[in-house]
Amino acid sequence: MRSCRSILVSFLVSFLATLPFALPVTLLVVGSVPVAAAELLPADRPINEAIDHYLQLGWVEAKVKPSPQVSGAGLIRRMTLDLAGRIPTVGETRAFVDSSSPTRWTGLADRLLESPDFAYHHRNQLDLLLLATKKSDGEFRKYLLTAARENRSWDVLFRQMMTGREENSDEKPALAFLKARAGSLDDLTNDTSVLFFGVNVSCAKCHDHPLVDDWTQDHFYGMALFFTRTYLTKKNTLAEKPTGGIKFKTTSGEEKQARFMFLTGTEVSEPKVELSAEQRKAMAAEVKRQMKDAKAPVAKVPGFSPRAKLVELALGADDRRFFSRAIVNRIWLRLMGRGIVDPPDQLHSANPPSHPDLLDWLARDLATRGYDLKRLIRGIVLSDSYAISSRHVGEGEVPGAETFAVGSVRVLTPRQYALSLLVATSNPDRVSLEAVSGGWAKRREQLEGEAGGLAGKIELPGDNFQVSVDEALLFSNNDQLQASLLKDSADRLVGSLKSIGDRRRLIDRAFEATLSRSPDTDEVVEFEVFLTKREKAGRLSAIRQMVWALLTSPELRFNY
Amino acid sequence: MARFRSELCRPAEHVSRRGFLSAAAAGATAAGFAQDMTVLDVLKNPSLAAEIKKQQKHVILLWLAGGASQLETWDPKPGRPTGGPFLPISTNVPGIQISELLPKMAGRMQDTAIIRSLSTGIGDHGGGASLMETGRRKEPGLQHPDLGAIIARELGRADSQVPDYVSFYASTEGRRKGTSGYLGARYAPMFLSDSMIPQNIRRLESLSDIDHRERADLRDLLARRFARGRHSRNNVLGSHTSAYQRVRGIMASEELFSIDNEPAAVRAKYGPTQFAEQCLIARRMVEAGVPFVKVARAWWDSHGQNFETHQELCADLDHSMSVLLDDLEQRGLLENTLVITLAEFGRTPKINGSLGRDHFANAWSTSLTGCGIKGGTVYGKTDADGQNVAEGKIGAGELFATIFKALGIDYEKEYLVGSRPIPISDFGVHPIDAVLT
Repeated sequence: MRSCRSILVSFLVSFLATLPFALPVTLLVVGSVPVAAAELLPADRPINEAIDHYLQLGWVEAKVKPSPQVSGAGLIRRMTLDLAGRIPTVGETRAFVDSSSPTRWTGLADRLLESPDFAYHHRNQLDLLLLATKKSDGEFRKYLLTAARENRSWDVLFRQMMTGREENSDEKPALAFLKARAGSLDDLTNDTSVLFFGVNVSCAKCHDHPLVDDWTQDHFYGMALFFTRTYLTKKNTLAEKPTGGIKFKTTSGEEKQARFMFLTGTEVSEPKVELSAEQRKAMAAEVKRQMKDAKAPVAKVPGFSPRAKLVELALGADDRRFFSRAIVNRIWLRLMGRGIVDPPDQLHSANPPSHPDLLDWLARDLATRGYDLKRLIRGIVLSDSYAISSRHVGEGEVPGAETFAVGSVRVLTPRQYALSLLVATSNPDRVSLEAVSGGWAKRREQLEGEAGGLAGKIELPGDNFQVSVDEALLFSNNDQLQASLLKDSADRLVGSLKSIGDRRRLIDRAFEATLSRSPDTDEVVEFEVFLTKREKAGRLSAIRQMVWALLTSPELRFNY
Repeated sequence: MARFRSELCRPAEHVSRRGFLSAAAAGATAAGFAQDMTVLDVLKNPSLAAEIKKQQKHVILLWLAGGASQLETWDPKPGRPTGGPFLPISTNVPGIQISELLPKMAGRMQDTAIIRSLSTGIGDHGGGASLMETGRRKEPGLQHPDLGAIIARELGRADSQVPDYVSFYASTEGRRKGTSGYLGARYAPMFLSDSMIPQNIRRLESLSDIDHRERADLRDLLARRFARGRHSRNNVLGSHTSAYQRVRGIMASEELFSIDNEPAAVRAKYGPTQFAEQCLIARRMVEAGVPFVKVARAWWDSHGQNFETHQELCADLDHSMSVLLDDLEQRGLLENTLVITLAEFGRTPKINGSLGRDHFANAWSTSLTGCGIKGGTVYGKTDADGQNVAEGKIGAGELFATIFKALGIDYEKEYLVGSRPIPISDFGVHPIDAVLT
């Protein structure tokens, strides 16, 4: 994959990719082809085409056959979860599945991206990434929602989070990112590096990174130096001291003074300012006052702001590759279930991307198109690669996840799950009507609020996430949850199913509302057996327990 | 299917449990799994399976929340200005003396090792507790699992019908829930705060048992259909299935949480304090196969009135711990159960103006009893006044390595977090072999 750089080879492979996969790939020995620098696909190609081009190259090279495309019902479920943060309503699913329009896919993407849902979902995802595991006052979520509605670009968000002005009400809430971490220089340094540059430098604190030649202690302390002067005033505003450095000891015992250094090794020198002892004393006294006195006047912005310098460096043409690649990789991970660089905080030479050219192409595209995340997201969900089935069919080994030849199975975030349960347990007729009518914005806002409570009871998935038995016990035995999910009223699923006399239609309806698809023939049989048996103890209870089984099935718990 | 750390097998390093299980289920015969496949065959033999179950190892952590005084427990300093009013007493192990506040323990030191040389350096409750719970200092960008979560992962069984990690907390403990960190919620404690019965463990009265069971069966059917041909990272899909499969078993374990079924004579031995009752529940758990139980007793933070506080709390500890050890021994469980007393730190040798002792992490004590421990030993020594460690200084990392080795867990084992290998004991530490059998 990594050696496939020349246009000639790309062309050849694209051509071959159109042929049956059994084709002998020995034709494609490319190791000896001279590699020209940065022969990426032209910049004006649509994003989805670039993605499909590069992934196909990978399939040919890895000799794997991608799974077939997902069904229409599968595609709208996947896209609605990814763009709206919830499952589709029965009405949305039917409209899409029944449509014969050649542009239904593009149409769906554009409808969802312009719906009120997208901003909520994109906000929730960014919040998860940036602040959700820390304490905060909720202003940051509002800020992100506004930003998502405006499709504020990623570089602007970054700039505001790093250097927002306290006196500017638009920018001030962005500072919560740093304020939540201001108590720890390690957190400021490492979280910023991980989340904005895709690099976990914490290993390099105590010693040069053991695996990665790129990172030395100079890098860790060089990055830390950008934050060492940052502090919280008594008024909970973010300020920077006018001076301050870091001394550290290398593993060989040498004492060193940290220099402002970005991850690329680029250094900045601070303009020399001669200060008298008195001036220094006065500065120190002022910082002390800011930290202790709630009535102190607004802290002065120093002439040299290390954080502003960091932003300038990170977004500069020479060094922005970390910034742009990191976010491309995060968005890709969100939608495809695995980063092009995996894990996403190990973007360095010892951990190469699965598709380096694709990552470079997408990063170049993003940086030159104003860091427009919505555009990137749209491009990805319109690629054929995005729409591959998550089911591996046929004999043979399952292709590795890094080939993206089989769709991913991704656990929903607590909010996605809670919202989906709310949609699933609504009366399908009513919620469908709302979703296509003008009243949806208001209803969506309500749902967002309602979902918060349930979402709070479900664990946020982190590294190595496993569903815990606590979740299964919650869904199996919690009285509030049962009462709310299985409520028998006209506006809810159970209530609406109760009024359907025909058993097959009832089962069909229940599947459509919860799993966004019709049941298979043998599922209908199994469910009929269940209902017949359980109805002896009461029809309502039988319907409730059937709905419970659908709501707790992995098919609802995962995006697949 | 159990994963064993007993003598019957050696751990298959760098092969994850899930990897092993799914490979085994798929009937894989790759050479790398041969060792484990023999274990699978062993399980087909019922008498050997019973033997293995008996060898399942457990930990009961008696957490002395707030910080117990080493001078009033395991490391008395008679006749010194720091010694306080209580005298040391001789124990049934010649040469070992402990505080007279622990008379019952003094009579059964044959299974216990005392470590008197902990020097951990963190003297605030939050920081100290975090250090002693996880065995290492906090690190940016990485949340380490606590001891219970590691033990749950190492000694727990994937399909266990009982919880892996149960944590009782006393209302005054300071609300520390414990954390499974990067190991994820699968290994988080079943946490009991308000009531002695865990949340959501009881079937709703409005639902019949048969409804509860049959809807779970229907759910399982959907799950199996869905899983066909699908693979997920870290097998998160499988974890969803096994979480639901464990529900009925966990519900059946509800009776473990109740001491009503214990004979009156046993209950009388433990006595009526909450701590003692929780120790009894801990014993029931261990007997049923729970790998890790934490019982917290609070609140030892005696900045004032240190001596009255310890008179009261030590009496509870002394009685409950000695009854627990006797009970475990009589049931043949002690040789496979490690009982630990630990806190976030000890207390200052210097007695302050309020006749209290303050936080002290420089030289303090812990005890280890039972599984893998050379009983009747003392490791390490503090100086005459107890201000500094004179011999055998260790930190939290060494203690954790010792605990792991006592349980037959490879203390140098690594977890892969992202692409980063994290050793389960802190970097570069070694166990204290002197207290191990």
